[in-house]
Amino acid sequence: MIKRLDFGAMDRRAVVKAGAAAGLVQFAAPFIVAARGEAPIKIGVDNPLTGTYAAPGKNEGVGIQLAVDQLNAKNGILGRQIELLTEDSTSGDAGAAVQKARKLIERDNVDFLVGNVNSALAQAMAQVSNEKGVLHIVPGGHTDGITGTNCKWNVFRVCSTTRMEANSICPLLFTTYGKKWHFITPDYAFGHTLFDGCEANLKKLGGTVTGNELTPLGITDFSAYLIKARAANPDVLVVLVQGNDMVNCLKQISQFGIDKQIHVAGTQQELEPVEAMPAEARVGIWMFEWYWKQAAGTPGLDQFIADIRKRTDGKVPTARTWFGYVTIHAYALACEKAKTIEAKAVAKALSDMELPPEIKMQPNKVYFRGGDHQLMLSAFVGELMQKGDGDPENLFKVNHIVSGDTDAPPVSETGCTMQMPA
Amino acid sequence: MLQLTFFNITNGLIIGAFYALMAIGLSLILNLSGVINFAHGGFLVIGAYLAYTLRPYIGFWGALVVAPFLTALIGLAVERFLVRRLYGRDPLYSLLLTFGLAFIIEDGTRQIWGANGLPFSIPEALSSPLSNEFFFITGYRMFMVAMVAIVVALLFVLLRYTRIGVRIRAGTLDLETVAALGVNVRALRSLNFAVGIFLAGLAGVLAAGQIGLEPTMGDGLLMPSFIAIIVGGVGSLTGTLLGGLLIGVASGLTAVVFPSASEAVIYVMMAIVLLVRPRGLLGEEGMLS
Repeated sequence: MIKRLDFGAMDRRAVVKAGAAAGLVQFAAPFIVAARGEAPIKIGVDNPLTGTYAAPGKNEGVGIQLAVDQLNAKNGILGRQIELLTEDSTSGDAGAAVQKARKLIERDNVDFLVGNVNSALAQAMAQVSNEKGVLHIVPGGHTDGITGTNCKWNVFRVCSTTRMEANSICPLLFTTYGKKWHFITPDYAFGHTLFDGCEANLKKLGGTVTGNELTPLGITDFSAYLIKARAANPDVLVVLVQGNDMVNCLKQISQFGIDKQIHVAGTQQELEPVEAMPAEARVGIWMFEWYWKQAAGTPGLDQFIADIRKRTDGKVPTARTWFGYVTIHAYALACEKAKTIEAKAVAKALSDMELPPEIKMQPNKVYFRGGDHQLMLSAFVGELMQKGDGDPENLFKVNHIVSGDTDAPPVSETGCTMQMPA
Repeated sequence: MLQLTFFNITNGLIIGAFYALMAIGLSLILNLSGVINFAHGGFLVIGAYLAYTLRPYIGFWGALVVAPFLTALIGLAVERFLVRRLYGRDPLYSLLLTFGLAFIIEDGTRQIWGANGLPFSIPEALSSPLSNEFFFITGYRMFMVAMVAIVVALLFVLLRYTRIGVRIRAGTLDLETVAALGVNVRALRSLNFAVGIFLAGLAGVLAAGQIGLEPTMGDGLLMPSFIAIIVGGVGSLTGTLLGGLLIGVASGLTAVVFPSASEAVIYVMMAIVLLVRPRGLLGEEGMLS
C-alpha cells in the first residue's frame, strides 16, 4: 500500500515537472526561432479537416500548399520563406475554430489567417482576426455577411456571395424552365441568404415561390420534403443544399423519378459532391465558382491541373483547390505590392487588386472590390453530365461564364460599411 | 392534405424500419453486455465502405451478403481485444471507449478511402418506383423494408427457438446465474456483440444506396437509434422495433407541418417518454439501473 502511494507521489511530481517544462518551451519557442536569423512569414490555416466539410477543407488545403511551395521555390514573399501552420477548425464547432484562430494568432504569431469553409465559423474567426489586426482571407465561406453587413477592413473573401450566385443563374432558370419554383433550402445562414437572393430574383422576373422546405443541416432522408415538393407541382425544383446533403437529395430525387417530371436545378454546385453521386443523379442546371475544363490556351491552367494531379493521385483541381491557391497568391502579390507584410498596408494593396491571368485562370476581370473586399470572380453556368466527357472527371458542361461584375450587387446594396482602422 | 399525410405516414414507416434495424443491433449489445456502443454508426460506415470495395468483384448482391459478415468479424475483434476488458466496470468506461472508437473509425475511413464521398448506385432491378403516384415507394426502399422484416424475423426466431438465443435472453435478465449454470458467458457476449455489429454492417450496405457514402454518414443515424431504444423501452427488442417505427413516422409527419423541426421532434418524443413513462413503451422497469 505504502509502496503504491510513494510511486503515485513520485509520478505526480514528475508529471508536474514535465508540464512546467512543456509550458516553458511554448513561451521560449518564438524567441528561439527569432534568434536564428531571418524569420519566416507565418500563414495560419484554420479550416475543417474532419467532419462533414472535410472534403472541401482538404481540397482548399491542397491549393494552399501548392501555392506556398511555388512561392518558397521562388524566394518566398519579400525574400522571406513561408511557414504554413494548419489547424483543424472542425466542421461546425465555432468554439474550436475560434480557439484555434486565437492559438495561431497569439501563440504562433501568424502574419496571415486563412479560413473557413463554414460561413458561421468564418464570421466567428473574423471577429478574432479583426480584434487582433491580422489580415484574414476567407477562401470558401459563402454567407453574404462576411463581405456585407459584417465586413471588416482586415477580411477579404475569394468565393462568391450567395447573392452573386443567385443573380448569376436565376434569370436563366426562369427563361429556360418556368415561373413556379419550389425550394429545398438548408436551414442555416448560407441557405437563408441563398434563398433570399433567389426569391428576390424570382419576384423581379414575375415568378412565384410554391414552397420553401427548410431542411436541417446533415439530414439524410429528403423523402418527406420531396413528397411535398412534388405535391406543389412546380416548374422547377431548386435544390440549395450543399455537400453531402446535395448528394443525398439528388440521389433520392433520381430514385423517385422526380427529375423526369419536374426540372431540377440549383445555384452552387461543386465537383466534390458531384463525384460522390452515382451517374443517374447527375442532373440539372447549376453554377460552379470555378471549373477545370475551359477553353484551350487559358493561361496557367494546364500547369495548375498537372501540378494538382501530381499531388492528389491524378484528381483534377476543384473550385475549392482554386480558392486556396488564389488566397495564398493574392496575399503574396499584395505583400509585394505594399513592400511589407504589415496588415493595414497589405489590406490597402489588396483592395481593388486585380488577379493576373495565370492566377485567375478564367476569362473576365477578376479583382478584389475595394468597397467590400469581395473577389469579383466569374460564375460558370451550365449543366451536369451523367457520363464524363473526355475525362471521367469532366462531369459539367459549361454554357456561359458570367463575370463577377455582372452578377454582384453594388456595394451600396450589400450592407457593408467598411470601418477603416485609425 | 389527407393524401400528403397518408404519404408521409407510409414514408415515415419506411424510414422508421431503417432506424429500427440500427436500433435493434444497438439494443442487443446494450441488453446483454451493458455496453453503450457509440461506435455503432462507425460500424455502419465500415459495412458501407466494405460493400463499395467488394462490389466490383462480387456485385451488389454479393457485397450485401459478405460485407455485414466482414463487419461482424471486425466487431468480434473489437469486442475480444477492447470491449471485453471493460465489462466489470462502470458503463461510462465502455461508453468512452466506443466514443473514441467512433472517431478513430471516421478518420480511418477518411485516410483509406479519402474525405470525398464515393458514388454507390442501387441495382437496376430495384431502381423504379412502385407507380407514378407512389413515387416515393421505390423498389429499393421496399427491398430495404423487406430486408429489415426478414432480419428481424430471423432474429426473433434465433432468440426464441435456438439454445443460443435462449441463453442470450436469459443472460439479459441475469448473467451471473447463466454463468453459474455452466454457459460460456464470454463466448456468448462475443457472439451477441458480433450479431449486433452484423446488423450495423447490413444497415450500412443498405444506407449506401440511399444516402451519400462518406466517412460521416453514420452520425445522423446513431442518435435516432438511441432514441428508438429509449422510446420503445430499454430491454425489449419488440419495443425497440416499435420505437424505431414511431420516430420514423413522427419525423415524416412533422416534415409536413413544420419542416425544420423534423429532426428535433424525435428528441421531444424522447423527453416526453422519459418524463411520463421512463421505462419506455414496452420496457421493463429498472433496466437502466
